[in-house]
Amino acid sequence: MNAGARSTAAAVAIAGPVVVATLMIVAFSGLELLGRTPFAVGPFRNVAEAAGLGAASDVLRMLGNGEDPNRVMPVRGEIISSSVKQATALEAAIWSRRLELLELLDRRGAIVDMQSRRHLACLASDLSALDIAEYLSRHTSPDCVRGHELDLVLQRTRLLEP
Amino acid sequence: MGYFLWDVPVQVSDSYGNIVTASQGTLGSLIASEFHQRAYLRPFLWGLIRVVLDLSRGHYFEWLRGWHIAQIAVLIVLFLRLVRPSTWSGAAAVPIGLAALIGMHTFAGTVREAFPINTFMTILICAFAAADLALGPPSWIRDLAAALIFVFAALTVESGLLIGVVFIAAYLVGARGVSRAGLALQVALIAGYFVLRFAILHVGSPGLEERPSGFGFSSLSPDELVARFGPHPLPFYAYNVASSWFSVLLSEPRGGTWGLTRDLLRGEPSLPAVIGATASALGSFVIATYAWRRRREWRARRFDRDDQLVLVFMAIAAANAVLSYGYTKDVILSPAGAFFAIALAVASRHFLESIASMPTRRAVAATVMIGVLSTAWAFRAIGAHLGVRTAAVALRGEWAYVDLWLERKSQVPTDPFAVALKDRLQDEAVRRHPLRPMLGSRWSGWVPE
Repeated sequence: MNAGARSTAAAVAIAGPVVVATLMIVAFSGLELLGRTPFAVGPFRNVAEAAGLGAASDVLRMLGNGEDPNRVMPVRGEIISSSVKQATALEAAIWSRRLELLELLDRRGAIVDMQSRRHLACLASDLSALDIAEYLSRHTSPDCVRGHELDLVLQRTRLLEP
Repeated sequence: MGYFLWDVPVQVSDSYGNIVTASQGTLGSLIASEFHQRAYLRPFLWGLIRVVLDLSRGHYFEWLRGWHIAQIAVLIVLFLRLVRPSTWSGAAAVPIGLAALIGMHTFAGTVREAFPINTFMTILICAFAAADLALGPPSWIRDLAAALIFVFAALTVESGLLIGVVFIAAYLVGARGVSRAGLALQVALIAGYFVLRFAILHVGSPGLEERPSGFGFSSLSPDELVARFGPHPLPFYAYNVASSWFSVLLSEPRGGTWGLTRDLLRGEPSLPAVIGATASALGSFVIATYAWRRRREWRARRFDRDDQLVLVFMAIAAANAVLSYGYTKDVILSPAGAFFAIALAVASRHFLESIASMPTRRAVAATVMIGVLSTAWAFRAIGAHLGVRTAAVALRGEWAYVDLWLERKSQVPTDPFAVALKDRLQDEAVRRHPLRPMLGSRWSGWVPE
């Protein structure tokens, strides 16, 4: 190998990886500007999906757009799990295990009655999200049947499957 | 990087409260009051925030983010002015220098957060501008500009004192952009700073009880620090200086904690940390190789421009480490990290040129080595962008929970301006500039952030 070829090989070795990385970043940005974000989970299709991944700012935005946190919505399998494809935003927030998100929804009046609160507290207990279960049980001691509320949610997905 | 930065909202912590404070009174009264604080002397930090806020006329997101992006653009232009790629090998070495500038762990804190202006980034610009002045042709205007830059930087944040080190180090290695008189003025200004801070204003400096700090393989709380080093803090200060120096050269330790070493001893090192350390260690090796090859010239006090840049880096690395004696943190080391990138670009170019004259086997080994070096820095540069994206997600989360957060800190605003500002910034973070699609963790987990 002559000196010129060595120099060229060395220049490619030193500049190549960084140039490729830069092109990847530029391509990523360009694709995102065109509405297709590579390697992304989102964009979220509804408030339940946003809650499932704990994206509090999107939850807040979608609530502002009028979405109902108590409505059962379709949730993609990669958000919570392949066995949970139908959930409300409140239920999805429990799966995200973010107590603050539940608190945020609660303060915005999303938990409309004691029956909903009991359902969510028992679901949190079934999922071993103990801090959330404790928060939701502050004013009442829900009589939970172990696994019942979880089964209710899972049942929705099972009913969808052929 | 600008595209990624445009995704970052004005943050709640360190920004919302600062905007409220900076908006009160006149610019003059704000700056004057900051001369009488305890532990910190940063009047121009507040002055700069106020100027940008006034210019924004309520368009906070656009102005503060636009300012941040413009700062990065200026920094990169100054980087290119300093490195001056004028040959093919020089051009080939520029990408790795830029990747090191952006991918260095000390740089992360200059882009992932702001207060609401990132003053560490301001200091990087001042430091590069100082080097550009010092390495240029002599002129009395440069002397004047050097003095103004020093005063502005030193009274913006404590790392600004390093601007004086840039001028002194550059002069000692033969750069005459700033004259002997200009250098004397710098020394007088540095002395004046300490007299002003400690003898006249009695600002003092932060104590051990201010914040937790990394030590060994873990972190010590302020109480633990006081209990362990309270009466005799010198060993702790020496530890911080040594840790900071190693952190610039090896990316280990981080914030005083030897996390990668600990994980290696446990047999469970994280791949991103290994990539980060590999990039820094090989980069330091290339710079050390350059220094070794130039040792005879240096001993004879014959310095060319590249020598001056590498030696200024060495001086800044040492001074920055000393300045971190009380508290070592990645972003405080950002000036040393930025000059590391310059030294790496310079040393890489020389390394590249030397490969042509090496025996074949050695040339192949050297080429493979710089390929690994470049690949590791490429990963770190991608990680830097990913880190900004992650920060944007976290900062938006802060705005979603802002009311809870302010209640817990017993800082619920009652002043109409503060309430309106909170609502405005929350609206900007949540609705007007919503969250971009979240990236899957399986793609991001292997990149050093």
